[in-house]
Amino acid sequence: MSLFHIESDRSKYPQPGDDGKLVVDLDSHKYVKLWQGPNHPGVTGNMAIELTLAGDEIVQAKTHVGYLHRGFEKLIERRLFLQGMQTSIRMCVAEPDTNEYVYCQCVEELSGIEIPEMAKWIRTLVLEMSRLQSFLRVVPGQGGTTGLGIGVQWGMYMRELILDRFEELTGGRIYHMYFTPGGVRGLLPQGFKKRMEENLKEIDDFIIRIDDLMYSNAVFKKRTVDVAVINPSWVDKYGIVGPVARSAGFNRDVRKDYPYLIYDQLDFEPKVMNHSDIYNRSRIRWYELQQSVDLIRQIMARMPENGDFKAPTPNVLHWEIPKGEAYVRAESSRGEYGLYMVTDGSTKPRRVNLRGPSYTQAVCLLEDMLVGANIADVHSIMVSLQTCPPEIER
Amino acid sequence: MKNLINKLSKVYELSDVVYQRPNFTYATTTKENTISLITQLRDLEGFSHFVLLSCVDWIEDNLFQLTYILNNPTQKYDIAIRCMIDRNEAAMTSAHYLWEQIATYQRELKEMYGIEFPGSPRLNENFILEGWDNIPPMRRDFDTKKYSEETFFPRERPSSNDPATYMKSRLHPDEWDGKIAE
Amino acid sequence: MSLKDILLPFKAWANVAKEPVSLKNPMREGAPRYRGFHKNDIETCIGCGTCEAICENEAIVMVPVEGVAGVETKSGDSGLRPLIDYGRCCWCGLCVDICTTQSLTMSNEHTWVVTDPEELKFIPGVDKKTWDNNELGWKKPAPNYHFYGQERVSMGELHAEERGDSFIEFVKGYSKEQAQLEADRCVECGICTATCPAHMGIPEYIKAVRNNDMEEGLRVLYATNPLPEICGRICTHKCEDVCSVGQQGEALSIRWLKRYIADQIPSEKYHEILDTQNIYKGDKKIALIGAGPASLSAAYYLSLMGHNCTIYEKLEKAGGMMRYGIPSYRLPYDQIDKDINYIESLGVQFVYNTNVDAAKLMELNKTHDVVYIGTGLHLGRSTGIPGSDHEHVFQSIDLLRKITQGEEIMVPEKVVVIGGGNVAMDITRSMVRLQKAKYGKVHVLATSLESEDIMPADREEVVEAREEGAIIDPGWGPKSIEIVDEKIKGLHVYKCLSIFDENRRFSPKFDTEDKKFFEADMVIESIGQGMDISYLSEELKSKLTFDPRGRLTVNKNFQSSLPWLFVGGDMVQGPDVIHGIANGHKAAIGIDYYLNSKK
Repeated sequence: MSLFHIESDRSKYPQPGDDGKLVVDLDSHKYVKLWQGPNHPGVTGNMAIELTLAGDEIVQAKTHVGYLHRGFEKLIERRLFLQGMQTSIRMCVAEPDTNEYVYCQCVEELSGIEIPEMAKWIRTLVLEMSRLQSFLRVVPGQGGTTGLGIGVQWGMYMRELILDRFEELTGGRIYHMYFTPGGVRGLLPQGFKKRMEENLKEIDDFIIRIDDLMYSNAVFKKRTVDVAVINPSWVDKYGIVGPVARSAGFNRDVRKDYPYLIYDQLDFEPKVMNHSDIYNRSRIRWYELQQSVDLIRQIMARMPENGDFKAPTPNVLHWEIPKGEAYVRAESSRGEYGLYMVTDGSTKPRRVNLRGPSYTQAVCLLEDMLVGANIADVHSIMVSLQTCPPEIER
Repeated sequence: MKNLINKLSKVYELSDVVYQRPNFTYATTTKENTISLITQLRDLEGFSHFVLLSCVDWIEDNLFQLTYILNNPTQKYDIAIRCMIDRNEAAMTSAHYLWEQIATYQRELKEMYGIEFPGSPRLNENFILEGWDNIPPMRRDFDTKKYSEETFFPRERPSSNDPATYMKSRLHPDEWDGKIAE
Repeated sequence: MSLKDILLPFKAWANVAKEPVSLKNPMREGAPRYRGFHKNDIETCIGCGTCEAICENEAIVMVPVEGVAGVETKSGDSGLRPLIDYGRCCWCGLCVDICTTQSLTMSNEHTWVVTDPEELKFIPGVDKKTWDNNELGWKKPAPNYHFYGQERVSMGELHAEERGDSFIEFVKGYSKEQAQLEADRCVECGICTATCPAHMGIPEYIKAVRNNDMEEGLRVLYATNPLPEICGRICTHKCEDVCSVGQQGEALSIRWLKRYIADQIPSEKYHEILDTQNIYKGDKKIALIGAGPASLSAAYYLSLMGHNCTIYEKLEKAGGMMRYGIPSYRLPYDQIDKDINYIESLGVQFVYNTNVDAAKLMELNKTHDVVYIGTGLHLGRSTGIPGSDHEHVFQSIDLLRKITQGEEIMVPEKVVVIGGGNVAMDITRSMVRLQKAKYGKVHVLATSLESEDIMPADREEVVEAREEGAIIDPGWGPKSIEIVDEKIKGLHVYKCLSIFDENRRFSPKFDTEDKKFFEADMVIESIGQGMDISYLSEELKSKLTFDPRGRLTVNKNFQSSLPWLFVGGDMVQGPDVIHGIANGHKAAIGIDYYLNSKK
């Protein structure tokens, strides 16, 4: 490779054993144990990786979660169907609307409620806004992990603009609690589309600026290109979904493959790349950021002005849903996000199980990917997988 | 989808088949057949994406329901295989060699429900809980509220009044229910 | 990697010249829909506690706030108000969305700094806060956005044309699906319970309908009301007037749900369900005079307590006003019999065609431990206007009794009814039916002192009477009955301006200029009834006490000043069936207490 590259002496590093995994003898005093997290600026939320280092190279990694565990799945088992939604959103702080959607859709599917057309449009709008605000955080956040803090600040400002719109539409900035089984809790306020368009214009400009700042940045490229490459054969083996799978050449997008709400009426094409390194994983999110902006414009242009936004439900205080089970998935900014709900005929769900992308990507995949990586790249890798600990421990 | 279910029914004892959506089917099989069934689905039927392994506690029937949800990304449909296992001696054949993430799921189920998966890697390591000394917390007989009230410092909740009882006591204080006075 | 990759990132320096975007004052106002701190319009709030029921964090508790202006425990208002603990609240706003009165809202205020976390428990609207007058904030999103059904499940009825000429029951009753749908609307607040004179377990029996557990429903009914078939049809349903679901939408059909439960169970199964196959009988004997709802209710509960009851009735069948006052299109006789036969099957003796006079009363006193009188109000009151002594001026109560007894009554072509209560509507609609059968056309007019909005009759009675062809023309005071050649020509009325004076005393004022004349061949007076206590001798009367309105005064056990004499029914409360049932039940407990303490 470059002139300064020196081939190191690998004989002092651990060697693979019979099962192909590295044999690490901690008593040999050759290794350093290091905990990254649970409080670390490179991670969203709280989780820890127990690293074993040989020099600055990682020879073993273990994911530790549990710092956030609040037992939401268990708590929902004690709640009425209407109340469960307000708890389910807390299973992912960064992108709560996907939780709202999958929860409400499960309840609707199990009780046979069809939501009105208007509610479908508004839900799609909210889901895309939610993807957008998540990308606005993670796209520049990837630069942040390599020390490029300025993009993060721009991104945070752009995200605040979207949160302002969320506040206006839903009454809350982070936890919107705007969907409800049967529909949504209100129409768009007067002038919402105009203000949204103003924000989208600023984001258009931001997209170009972040392109110049990050993706045409020699340092950023040096730190990310060809680092932590994901082999396409891993995608099914580890259950990889979303932008990470798409960057490895898999055209999988829940919005296209299993169209929900009104995604089948929208015009978009999932972006696919063929080499999944940190750079491309981040780049693909940058494309999807543009895609989200475009989709929001499409939705706002085509959605009806008025209409019913909530289907009638039985009395929520004693709403019983017959025995059944449903798995509903949606495309979050991190990929397939699903909820498995089992009902038993009572007023409360028997079981709710959330399947978030980080469950596989931040545990078994990350543990294997980190082996051989440089310690300085750990949080770059984590952010490139868009790790969200709350959905691991729910 | 129906063709596939019919084909599989010949080999495995499939029951309670529910065609929930055109591209989503649920079916129950026996505990012994489950792993070979999902292996066949993965290797021969194109269900290459493993979505979810979940457990439902049917405490009244003394059963755990394990649900394996598999996805066929090319045909774009899903199948959920259920199997019932005994709740008292909860154990299931491990499937960790089929997909990497299954080991994580099984580790979680061991911790949260107490289900054994012999041979699954790192099964007994703490996953989410640390120093847990109670029954597995996701079991239905574990009372979250009681536990938290005993373990933590609950915020005192003022006592509430039932409108019906309160109104009766205010509007008809001398009435017969409760006490009869001269 | 190219030179471009090294130079382009430096474009970021252009931002140095830009204005910062951070807010100078971060204490900005929330959006118009912001879910901030709670507000409560305490005068609109009825303290139903639905907000407490939906709160997933148990952040809301209902606390008494007596002594605050606008809040008072009364019929339809529990006097409780929600206290919200911001140490638990998650500001989801479900309490606002479900609020039955829409009194609970949220402001867009989001800043509140305290040093003591206990201060974060407050009663919105009662504890004054700076955001109480904020107009902006989260409110119920739209008038048609609901978490429970707003509209009544419509009840099958015969059309006005079909029912107009027959005395067949015209309200068909709910089917199972309809009943469950209607029961689903209940929010189980319990505001109705204290308002019902009998304090029936209304939310409990509605729950039984929802769960399709009719046996449990029947047990709940009989705990407080031994005449459910009857009440399920003709109760004045004060519960529905205060129903919290009715605050925004239509009140629950509580009465029809009660009827639904009773209708579902055949009378043979009553003993088994209510566990009354073997009831203990002691040696105490009680005589009850008048087989109306009060005596029936008292006899039922006394029988369950093990006492021997005998009911003395002047007429040939039991039921009192329920049988002889209420027309059978509202309350069919077989349903009255179903309830009464069950009471009889518990060992209650009925002695019919026996008029109790002063001598008989003293005899009963000697042969029984306690005498209970529930003879009700069965003497019609006359208006006393000129001409009201004509032989074709009738009392509604007499006519209704004769219709029940199958006697021929006068049915002329033109009838005027004076009165605006339920009895007036009953006779109006009965006359409509008789006229239609006799002449094929209807000419019945009912007029009352009260104007349309304050007519004491149930609203649906007025509406249904009009549907059937009667003319209801309220707001007129009767002046005189015009009689020419010994025949009634009609009724002169003048406009009634007000009924009560400033002290709420009956003192009607008329506009004598604004007159009307209603043609009639027959006038029926239906302006209320009085009681007949001729069976009380002067000696007894002197030992009893009466209130200014002439009613017998009783203590809370419905015991008169003579220890052996208990009184109930319309004579002391009401007048309506449910009061009679309630005070009959209370008297039964009082009698039991008296008998046990006498030993």
